[in-house]
Amino acid sequence: METRQQGQTMFTGILLLIGTVIIVQLWLVGASMDALLAHETEILIPAAIISFLGLLLNAGLLYYIHDFDKRVRRSNPAR
Amino acid sequence: MPEVLKPDSLKILNNPSQEPQWREDFPIRWENDHYVTRRELAKFLTLGSAFLVIANVVMAFFGKFRGAEQYPRAFVANASAIPESGSMLFRYPTDRDPCILVRAKSGELRAYSQTCTHLSCAVVHRAQDGVLSCPCHMGLFSETEGRPVAGPPIRPLPRILLDQQGDQVFAIGVEV
Ligand code: FES
Repeated sequence: METRQQGQTMFTGILLLIGTVIIVQLWLVGASMDALLAHETEILIPAAIISFLGLLLNAGLLYYIHDFDKRVRRSNPAR
Repeated sequence: MPEVLKPDSLKILNNPSQEPQWREDFPIRWENDHYVTRRELAKFLTLGSAFLVIANVVMAFFGKFRGAEQYPRAFVANASAIPESGSMLFRYPTDRDPCILVRAKSGELRAYSQTCTHLSCAVVHRAQDGVLSCPCHMGLFSETEGRPVAGPPIRPLPRILLDQQGDQVFAIGVEV
């Protein structure tokens, strides 16, 4: 399989992962909004921390994609 | 002798090693296009993820630093004016906050915000069932505690704290 084709399959997997994390983050925003309106403030900080960890995971995956892309370009500068 | 112009499509016949004209017009292959689209989508989603974190942090900030609210003491009604299973509307703490004072089946006076915690319709007292009812989506709240007992609402009605001095009933705060 060509490297780019491999990359495409891998990107699809990574996109699914990122999408899943985003759904969890969306749920956290909804739950936090509910908690804020109900004045249950103790869950807000843990929710923000978990959401931030999700962002770190997404950023790590994006970094991996960029790194992979750089390697592909280096090995095949014409593209 | 005038020069004969050959159509572009014939170029490839003259020089088989050369790429066809359409390849020059559409130089990007499907798989390369998908590759780039997916890479860009990953970037876009990560940006969205960052915005969601910001939303969460802002809410956490509000929750942490929102000071305890100060509520005025306001006269609501004379207790004797509210009959058995009766109710009365008033506004507290500001003129834009509709509230309802009810006499529960037990005879106690209770007051709640009249704004339904589902989608903000006004709740009404249904004394025969001992509930506050929201006509919009049939949400029901108990008249003694204000907690949701049926329908879509999941949060209780904010409760207005009352202080009774003789016959006079005052609102002194809101408990969410
Ligand atoms: S607005 Fe009250 S139940 Fe929907």
